[in-house]
Amino acid sequence: MTKTDEAIWTAGCAASERDRRNQYRFLWATLVWAVVFVGATFLTKRGMVPEGPLAWLVAALPTLAALLVIWTYARFLREGDELQRVIQLRSLALGFGAAWVATCGYPLFEHLGAPPADAGDYFLVMAVAFTVGNVLARRQYR
Amino acid sequence: MKNRLKVLRAERDWTQARLAAELEVSRQTVNAIETGKYDPSLPLAFRIARLFGQPIEEIFTTE
Repeated sequence: MTKTDEAIWTAGCAASERDRRNQYRFLWATLVWAVVFVGATFLTKRGMVPEGPLAWLVAALPTLAALLVIWTYARFLREGDELQRVIQLRSLALGFGAAWVATCGYPLFEHLGAPPADAGDYFLVMAVAFTVGNVLARRQYR
Repeated sequence: MKNRLKVLRAERDWTQARLAAELEVSRQTVNAIETGKYDPSLPLAFRIARLFGQPIEEIFTTE
């Protein structure tokens, strides 16, 4: 396969070669974050880390891994195919907007007796809204 | 905004994938531009014009 053929083949895919490379980076960073987060939570909750600087380091590791995720996603957006960027930004807008509305609005219902929500619930709202926004935007530009 | 991208591509007997490779964008982007669902950025519009050797206004026109 020549270089031109390869370029045509990859352009025929949903994402360009550069986008796919950046998506792999993002997925790997997310996987690293998930492993570090689960590991740090397990060690901290079980009290397996001696108190002191080491405990603080273990607690900080998920945040450092999350920064890596953010960096890879920002790179994906910066270098990405321009239509892909529009789709991602629309998804982010819906995800952020839904999380903002839920965070500000739901506590009022909690005062009236609705089940209490924690940060995980608001994160779920954001993730679902992001996914819905992504699907809708992809369908619009299909 | 209307454009003649599909016609220009057809004249060269290129597939969307070939044009996408020439422009270094995804095939989805080419398709969205051709169907009028997406207006390209100015840099991409310039790349398209340069690729087909025509002024931008010959390719893209306001409706």
